[in-house]
Amino acid sequence: MKFLKSTQSKLLLCTSVFFLSFSSIADVAVVVNSTNADIIDDSDIARIFMGKMKAFPSGGSIEPINSVSGSAVRSEFEEKVLNKSSSQMKAYWSKLIFSGRGKPPTELGSDAEVLKHIAANAGAIGYVDAASVDASVKVLKTF
Amino acid sequence: MKHNRIALALTGILLAGSANAEITLNGFASIVAGVTTASDESLYGYDDSIDFSPDSLFALQASSDLGEGLSITAQILSRGADDWDPKFEWAYVGYQVNDNLKILAGRQRIPFYMYSDFLDVSYAYPWITPPRGVYDVPFDTFDGIAAIYSTQLGDFDTTLHAIYGGNNSDIEVFDNESSADFTNFAGASLTLTRDWLTLRGAYFQTEMNIDLLAIKPLVDGWNGLGQNHIASQIDIASDTSEFIELGFQLDFDQIIIVGEYSSLSLDDTALPDQESYYLMAGYRFNNMMVHVTYGVDEDDQDPITLNYQIPGIPDGTAFESLPVDLQTLIYGTESLDTATDEDTSYITLGLRWDFHQSAALKFEYTSFSDDLDSNSDSGLFRTALVTVF
Repeated sequence: MKFLKSTQSKLLLCTSVFFLSFSSIADVAVVVNSTNADIIDDSDIARIFMGKMKAFPSGGSIEPINSVSGSAVRSEFEEKVLNKSSSQMKAYWSKLIFSGRGKPPTELGSDAEVLKHIAANAGAIGYVDAASVDASVKVLKTF
Repeated sequence: MKHNRIALALTGILLAGSANAEITLNGFASIVAGVTTASDESLYGYDDSIDFSPDSLFALQASSDLGEGLSITAQILSRGADDWDPKFEWAYVGYQVNDNLKILAGRQRIPFYMYSDFLDVSYAYPWITPPRGVYDVPFDTFDGIAAIYSTQLGDFDTTLHAIYGGNNSDIEVFDNESSADFTNFAGASLTLTRDWLTLRGAYFQTEMNIDLLAIKPLVDGWNGLGQNHIASQIDIASDTSEFIELGFQLDFDQIIIVGEYSSLSLDDTALPDQESYYLMAGYRFNNMMVHVTYGVDEDDQDPITLNYQIPGIPDGTAFESLPVDLQTLIYGTESLDTATDEDTSYITLGLRWDFHQSAALKFEYTSFSDDLDSNSDSGLFRTALVTVF
């Protein structure tokens, strides 16, 4: 039994390592509500998720949605789109939180929740694993 | 007392708001241990026995969104240096007027320096504490109102942070707690950011009154002789102080360079004018950062003009022929010119290691040299565990 258990956990470890490395090479799709017709470039996306850009060019308020802290898609997004490590982003938001300058985007727990929220809110913008994208949202760009 | 009442009132509002609004709790902490490298040395509150108290701190922040742009925030901070007495560091109502403008009313931070807004949040910057030479105004909060205006100017994200208010908490001058009153405290900071470049400038001025025990005999002495014009060059009463800061930051993927200069003018007081700057370079690799900082501080007292006109003492009377009381006064006043002068520099070497998702370990060695008194030269080793939650 003992042997079996340790084999099982080793197997589990192998699959999770595989899963992690697999998910870290997955593409990230930045998605908006399907009614959103604004033109948003890469630097706009970065500025939105750093709390610097709060309104779309057409005037509507932007609601950025983060994937939960520690998720693979979140680190991928921060690395590829924001050019920052997770701890650099954490430090960045600490500055704003503790000085009353702003608060970080709302966090949702899974790609499904992000997609559901964005499909239901005209001003929302988020990101999911490119493989999770469905027809309920519009893909702005894949990184 | 006044601040406590304000804080209490704000807490009351905060608690009342909790009935229908969600409260967000955040916090940060630094556990810092330090020791100087030799038995006769002391620096930044440390000596040659390991001490955890000078820089360790713990803070909790509660904030609540009341809806329609209104929010309320209170931050309680305990410092090891204050025997862990908790104090309201921030306690304010915020109003987001529109996407560009936010108004804060209550107790908040004076945006003196580049790192002022998050001065105690060590997790947010490379050092254990920002370079003490530049970051040395003896108070950093005020009670009043601030307007924070952010917009895009060309390619630059621009933030103008203007404040008006006052501060009447005790401050530490010449190693003594003194009661102080700063009124009509006004000024602004301007920050421009574009990609890797940040430029910053700030200007503040205030009227100030400080009851400084150490200078009372001189002030009383000159006033007693009817020489109020000399006393007023020494006392800190209805004097205007000016503060200027200039800073820049170059933040590339792996390399970060930061520089800051500050100048504090305290004309017509016993306190010297202060000029300081530092330059820091850091290199990031994996989840580490190594950095080196060089800084200089120069404090210089403006000469006090001793143009006394005392009945019975003819102009040009030799010092030796003056009454002994007057000799003592002159001697005390003249020595003030040099007693407060300072000319120091320091080099700090540091390592930051982000070993955990919301915590970092930091190691720093500071070599401090005093150009006016080499007996004050010292070395300090500090290590810190810093976190945000």
